[in-house]
Amino acid sequence: MSDLTPLRDLLDHHVVGHDEVKTAMLLALITREHIYVEGPPGTAKTRLAEVAAKGSELDFFFYQLHRDTRLAELVGDIVLERRKVKTEGAAPGTAGEAERIHQRIEPGGLLTAEVAVLDDISRAPGEALNVLLRILNERRFGAEPIPLMAAIATGNPMDDEYYNEPLDPANLDRFALQLRVSGLIQSGVDEAKTLIDRFASGSVVEQPDPEPVTDRATLDALNQQMYEVEVGTAVRAALLDVLRTLVLEFECNETNSLLTDRTFLVKAIKILRGAALLAGRDAVDLPDLAALSWMTTFRVPPEAHEALPRIIGRVSRQIQAV
Amino acid sequence: MAPSAPDRRNTELAAAFVELRTALGRVLVGQDDAATGLTLALLAEQHAYLEGPPGCGKSELAAALAALSGARTHTLVFHRDIRETDLLGDVLLSRHRHRGHERLRRELIPGPLLQAEVALLEDLPRSPGEALGPLLRILAERHALGQTLPLESAVATGPLEQVEAPIDPLEPGQLDRFAVQLRLAGLLTGGLFDEAAVLLEREAARQPARSAVPSRTFTTADAPPRRAVMSTAIRNAAQRAAVALQVEPRTLDAYHRLLERLRQRTADESASGDRLMSDRSFSSAALRLVRAHAFLRGAPAAAPRDLGAIRYMVAHRLPDEVQEDFDHILEELLGDPPNVTMAETGAQMPGAQSQGDENSDGAAASSPASDSWIDDQADLPAPPSLFGQPPPPAQVDPLLRALVGRIERGRIDPDTDPGGQPRGYRPLRDLDELIDADLIEALLFAEGRLPGAPRTFERKRKSAGGAVAVLRDISASMAGRLTVWSSQVVLGILRVAARRRMRVGYVEFHHRALPHQVGGRLLHRSYSRLAEQAGQAKAVGQTNYEAPLRTALEGLRGGSGRNRHVVLLTDGLPIIGDTTVRRERQLARRLGVALHTVFLGNGDCPPVLDDISLETGGLRFCGRPLAGGGLRLEER
Repeated sequence: MSDLTPLRDLLDHHVVGHDEVKTAMLLALITREHIYVEGPPGTAKTRLAEVAAKGSELDFFFYQLHRDTRLAELVGDIVLERRKVKTEGAAPGTAGEAERIHQRIEPGGLLTAEVAVLDDISRAPGEALNVLLRILNERRFGAEPIPLMAAIATGNPMDDEYYNEPLDPANLDRFALQLRVSGLIQSGVDEAKTLIDRFASGSVVEQPDPEPVTDRATLDALNQQMYEVEVGTAVRAALLDVLRTLVLEFECNETNSLLTDRTFLVKAIKILRGAALLAGRDAVDLPDLAALSWMTTFRVPPEAHEALPRIIGRVSRQIQAV
Repeated sequence: MAPSAPDRRNTELAAAFVELRTALGRVLVGQDDAATGLTLALLAEQHAYLEGPPGCGKSELAAALAALSGARTHTLVFHRDIRETDLLGDVLLSRHRHRGHERLRRELIPGPLLQAEVALLEDLPRSPGEALGPLLRILAERHALGQTLPLESAVATGPLEQVEAPIDPLEPGQLDRFAVQLRLAGLLTGGLFDEAAVLLEREAARQPARSAVPSRTFTTADAPPRRAVMSTAIRNAAQRAAVALQVEPRTLDAYHRLLERLRQRTADESASGDRLMSDRSFSSAALRLVRAHAFLRGAPAAAPRDLGAIRYMVAHRLPDEVQEDFDHILEELLGDPPNVTMAETGAQMPGAQSQGDENSDGAAASSPASDSWIDDQADLPAPPSLFGQPPPPAQVDPLLRALVGRIERGRIDPDTDPGGQPRGYRPLRDLDELIDADLIEALLFAEGRLPGAPRTFERKRKSAGGAVAVLRDISASMAGRLTVWSSQVVLGILRVAARRRMRVGYVEFHHRALPHQVGGRLLHRSYSRLAEQAGQAKAVGQTNYEAPLRTALEGLRGGSGRNRHVVLLTDGLPIIGDTTVRRERQLARRLGVALHTVFLGNGDCPPVLDDISLETGGLRFCGRPLAGGGLRLEER
């Protein structure tokens, strides 16, 4: 059985802390889902994405979004093809030449990458992102399938309106996994000390290029294995109960939440399978439901998101009791 | 009686569409109405508009229709920067030399969209006005660039209308081009948990199609490849047969009565939602759908029950309440014996009308009462949804107009912005802008053959800045009609803010300030949530100005920009806290926040309110209850 322990070790070697983001990134690579990480500057968001991509020897596309981002910058070059054709003139003796001009896109960037890191996605104008995010969703550009496995987007907190508008919630829905990170030092966790100690001892080389520790074939095999992970009746019933609680008790609706069928009825199954696989199991178990809170971060009101572990615990106990 | 040959042929053709309907119904769990609506649209050769929350399967259903029907298809994903050439086709640039002149002509060569039989228009509302106008005209005329299009149905998808959405919704007039209008609900948010369980089970059993050849690329593989259930010949024959179906006289009779009933219900101003009963849709398109409905169930002619097809047309044509009632209205109508006399005098059907009102619990029946003040708080109407809500009673208008004027001062809407929507063309001013210029003109310009500069997109964006905090007195003296009235003021301000994408804050206060925060922040853009809140206010306690002003100013302090406002709604003297609010006035001046004050009631306006407004450049309003139950609103 293939596993991603080497990649996880690599992430740990390069970045201190941020356990959840690391796990979620591996989950994204296995399930081939996209991930959005939001946090203040300097919390190793981009670095983690970069290490994950390079460590798995995947074709890597990095793009820093900005407020004037245009589609062509992301997907390749706009090409004008000009072809000469003969025409008849309207009046005698006016026969001339004509050109047929066809506009197309020469694939590049996102269309040829296996992992895309979209930095500062919240800075791009929401509207311009529409096509980008649709490509992410369908993994097709026009009729052509693209090799993209996972896009890792980062963003800054949407606290103020200085940088454009917040992401359109429908656009955020394209990222199945959504996490919020905070700085180690700012949140005063023990790992902050480790971080400082490591830099002080000189044991960290800043910005080294990670060596590949896994490859596409391993990830493909894991993806196949994922579909063999069993999702039993109890887990499905528990998932539905959690969702029911969010709708009925926490009043999540179309206005305040993004509780979409695509995400919570289709993708959630994949995420749960992936979580079980990462834990080395071949069937989804009730504790795997904890992965749901990586899906609700920006999709339900904060109070509902915070209550999720409690809801999952309660539902799991009820299911087990039956 | 043995069926005649044409009838048998029709039955076969109908069977193909029944199969299409069944196959479409299997694509999504719990969206049967949408499957039927789309089938009818294709059979009647009408365009369809599918809207729904993200991730409910709109695109999948539209794509399935195209694949299952065997039609030649083209999919176009709309986005901000879509151009005419994406819609229509390549450019043919011809040069003719004539007596020493060179004449350049540009024409368009029909592209794949113009050759499609079923066109899929994804995310249609994201398209700027520039591209949308020509497209909608083409859809209506089915004729472009001098040729008739093979187009049978265009299926467009769009998001559910929400005030929070950053895109401008299509107008009812634009949506009227789509005869069939379907609104999909999410299974989860629609509370359809049984259907959700079915979908979960389906997903848990899903196995990916394992390809024999390892490939670097893959699609999401969520949609299995679909085989067509009919040929183009059969599809077209069915369409011709369906439109040729007779409409029974009693069906027409019932249709007239249905239209009259809908018209009456729609005329009721208190209902929320779009209303547009255009001749175009309710003559030709509606009857085609009614015929298609009859054809689909194998009937030889359209019977009154086929009027049920109209329900797939109404999402943006009738107010929400009337839509919900549609099946009921129709049922009631068909239950009546087709009485010719009644139908002829449809406008004055006293019996039927009163019956309709009894059954339409709420909206229509309570409308006569809505003009008078409601003194019993228990009767406070539930807040209507913010979007498409009718304007508040005229009494609120002077205040809102003045406020809007203040909010708009110094603003140009929308602002020119390099990241905005293309809202028109202008000449190139800087070579940097070449990237956004008309490609052909840029090409000619680069070759030195364009007299003048190429045109480039003029991009504009609605200014999203600014903030308004509403402070609403809910002390005990505000009970009764003052509560209703101030709810209307709050809703009006929320609507103004939503339209301008301003952040809003809402603080109710009595002796304490009760801010309604979202995500721990006072200022946000969850307009609908606040609208809901504003309708639920209960009047208790005593008045304190200091606490709410302090709360609002603290909330506004972090923000930037000049366009910041506080609206204080109160009916009494402050009793608790600093009654002169000296520090708050100072802070407001320093932050450049305008404090507008609105005093309600018969008493004397506390002088401190005048001071607050005068010092900070805010508006001063007062509302005096009138003897007749109205309220006169004027500047103090």
